[in-house]
Amino acid sequence: MQEKLSRRNFLKLVGGAAAAGTAVAIPVAAKGVGQQFVPYVKPPEEALPGDATWYASTCRMCPAGCGIMVRTIDGRAKKIEGNPAYPLNQGKLCARGQAGVQSLYNPDRLKNAVKQNGRGSRSFEPVYWDAALDEVLAKLDSVDPSKIVFYAGTMPDNLYYLVSEWLTAIGAPAPVIYDLHAALEGRAVSLQAAEEMFGAAQMPVYDIANADVVLSFGANFTETWQSPVAYNKAYGDFRGQAGGRGFFIQCEPRLSATAAVADEWVPIRPGVDGLVALALGRIIIEERLGTAGTLGQIYAGMYRGVDVPTIANAAGLEIEQLHRLARILAEADRPVVIPGGYTAGQTNGYGSYQAIQALNLVLSRLGRRGGVYLSQPAPAETLLTMPAPNSFADVQALIERMNAGQVEMLFVYGANPVFELPQAAGFKEALAKVPFVVSFSSFVDETAVQSDLILPNNTYLENWGYQVASPGADRPAVACQQPVVRPLYDTRSTASVILDLAHAMGGAAAEALPWGSEMLFMEDVASILFGSSLNPYTAQTAGEFWAAFRQHGGWWSDRPLQQEPEPVGLGQRPIIVTAPAFDGSARDYPLTLYPYPSVVMSDGRGANLPWLQETPDPMTTVAWNTWVEINPATAHRLHLKNNDVVKIVSPQGEIEATVVEYPGIRPDVIAIPVGWGHEDYGRYAENRGSNPIDLLAPITDPESGALAWGATRVRIERTNRTHALARLESLHGEGRESLS
Amino acid sequence: MSRIVSGLRRQPVILLAGLVLVVVLVGGVVSRGTAVAQDQPLDYSHQTHIAAGMDCLFCHSSATRSQIAGVPSVQKCMGCHETITPESESMQTLQGYWERQEPIPWERVNKQPDFVYFSHQPHVNSGLACENCHGDVSSMDQAQKSVEMDMGWCLDCHAQQDEAIAPHLWDCVVCHQ
Repeated sequence: MQEKLSRRNFLKLVGGAAAAGTAVAIPVAAKGVGQQFVPYVKPPEEALPGDATWYASTCRMCPAGCGIMVRTIDGRAKKIEGNPAYPLNQGKLCARGQAGVQSLYNPDRLKNAVKQNGRGSRSFEPVYWDAALDEVLAKLDSVDPSKIVFYAGTMPDNLYYLVSEWLTAIGAPAPVIYDLHAALEGRAVSLQAAEEMFGAAQMPVYDIANADVVLSFGANFTETWQSPVAYNKAYGDFRGQAGGRGFFIQCEPRLSATAAVADEWVPIRPGVDGLVALALGRIIIEERLGTAGTLGQIYAGMYRGVDVPTIANAAGLEIEQLHRLARILAEADRPVVIPGGYTAGQTNGYGSYQAIQALNLVLSRLGRRGGVYLSQPAPAETLLTMPAPNSFADVQALIERMNAGQVEMLFVYGANPVFELPQAAGFKEALAKVPFVVSFSSFVDETAVQSDLILPNNTYLENWGYQVASPGADRPAVACQQPVVRPLYDTRSTASVILDLAHAMGGAAAEALPWGSEMLFMEDVASILFGSSLNPYTAQTAGEFWAAFRQHGGWWSDRPLQQEPEPVGLGQRPIIVTAPAFDGSARDYPLTLYPYPSVVMSDGRGANLPWLQETPDPMTTVAWNTWVEINPATAHRLHLKNNDVVKIVSPQGEIEATVVEYPGIRPDVIAIPVGWGHEDYGRYAENRGSNPIDLLAPITDPESGALAWGATRVRIERTNRTHALARLESLHGEGRESLS
Repeated sequence: MSRIVSGLRRQPVILLAGLVLVVVLVGGVVSRGTAVAQDQPLDYSHQTHIAAGMDCLFCHSSATRSQIAGVPSVQKCMGCHETITPESESMQTLQGYWERQEPIPWERVNKQPDFVYFSHQPHVNSGLACENCHGDVSSMDQAQKSVEMDMGWCLDCHAQQDEAIAPHLWDCVVCHQ
């Protein structure tokens, strides 16, 4: 009998068979993040699965040291936000800070200590920590302590203290502090100038929030400069003031993202920042503009010999433009003038810095609302251990010592000099002459590849530490860094490695660092603040204070407390700003190179995080690669268009990059973001773009010894190749036709 | 022509088999599966534990208090299995995790997408039994997905409830917050 098949039965049969078939045909769900439950081995008491625990800690994605809150679930860090209570960033956090979780979970992290089978071989063998430390101890024992060098980037204060105490105890010289981020933001020059002009080596804080006119010379404070999150917040407050939006003028050759939010962009020639500041000062005083023009007469001596028409000509400005800027400043109630990193990165950087800061003096802006303050660390003054970074000249001296065989052991922490220093400086070659190199990098970066041993540091989300805010907030503040998760792998914090080494060495080293663990050291640090009259939270005992210190993410004053700069080094003597000098003849190298810090890559340290790689640049919308910004007029003259691959040649070297026609740049300047061009540093960073630092001449400002990173001339050569850059959208609105 | 048609009529099972094959293959590609055997790291039997009289909430103890029901910690497993059948093969595996202080990477059986907010807490506390969504786990060794937990399924069930007890989910942001 023929079976009658109703529609309903048919569907049932098909559905059932399909379900059964599916069970066979579909493989088990792919294993991967989000596909597994990984509960605790031993849950903390009262832990509720699915319930988030937020830890207050400190961001270490740049040296600003913002307060963060990290959301953790089941012992895993999930999300980072700003700490609303911390007075520096007031709950805000930048893209780099948000991307911090990707450094924790990065697949290219070193998971244990490794030894390299021959430097540069990239062949690593795991080594037990005890064996690695024994090897380091044996070397320390066998070398002359004066030939040991600790090379580091800007460090958290706890680590600097431990490292410098240890080095002193063993008779080794103080650490050499140098990293590209600090160089690009002019940190050393800021501190050096503050010490000379104001008698205190504290980072100046510019009270943008309460100013009514801001004149910035290349300070990209909404991007990467010094404390960008705090300044972004201040910028928002500046625009939202009751008295009006304020007026913001940005002077620099390129329209940066900061210049793009300014009311006026003044595209001055490279290296003339200080000269323009001198001209403005002279005009204000000579023409007695505003109150400043009258009160500032006592400072006339500073502007002796300043030739306004010559400066206008050198800067590429009309005299009338200078007059107008001077009037805006002099007639403002609360103007503030800011010297930026690009100012410091010229051969006349230090003089320019002084000339710009002098305007704040003439305008009576020192220690005034909306003016300039100094970071106020008290009572955390003893905790602020991190000194000014070394100058590039100091690094050159170190390279000479390395070449001369005077360095037998080199430790590298938090810096990547092989990538960050101009190739012409010869660091890599000098490194080859150092017999034993130890890196503390969490990743195999370009410098780690040239080392013998890598003792990977924990990421900052697994580490202890503290940092005195510098530049600070409107009050003293110390950010507490605490582990928000257990170390994921067999890595160790560099601070604990230093303690272990010191204890194993015994004698003076062990006496200098008596703490059994870095946590005990941190507890001692907190006890220094316990007795302060400014405490924001109540604590009856030191133990209670230590708990509150961790719970709140640090310590800060309960009320504003700002430090007024004393103009000890300014006043009567003329300020000298020399004419800027450039490497490369104007005939052979007609364009000036402006290598600027990418807002996401910073100095290149963000390149290993895919979230940052895929974040489009705010001005060009390019992601994942290096580009060169060329004024359309220049591009037209050179027969170049968007996506053409060009060779950029300087007297020191050459790189390739893809053209972006960018109207926001002077025709005689080209700009290339820093951060790409890694040879190592993990899968997301490697072989992607090029590094403009390779083009730089190792020339310095003779006064400060700072690298004149904005003083190299280049030319552009065609390659007749094109490369389609990954861009979110075009500058000219192509692809938006459907919206019209 | 009529012969072909009548031939087809005589062969409905063959035609059906062909259709079934097509659906199975297509289903195999597009379906997320309704009853998928999981390759779990440990040979764990729900049936055995429930037959021994254990309540779901003994192990999935946060279901009444949290968004997620929770999977027990290794410590919790060891709390009993230190003494209960420690010699069995799967207990040896468990012991290994405990000795290495390693968490057990259980494969997920049910997972809501990131854009869905779901919480066990109100469901369990309103008296809904676990098996309404998770099937008869007492008859399963490894937990199996018993139903495709998609949006239609959520809405269907909520639509049948008394609105005083459970919202009918007409407001998107209840789940898509």
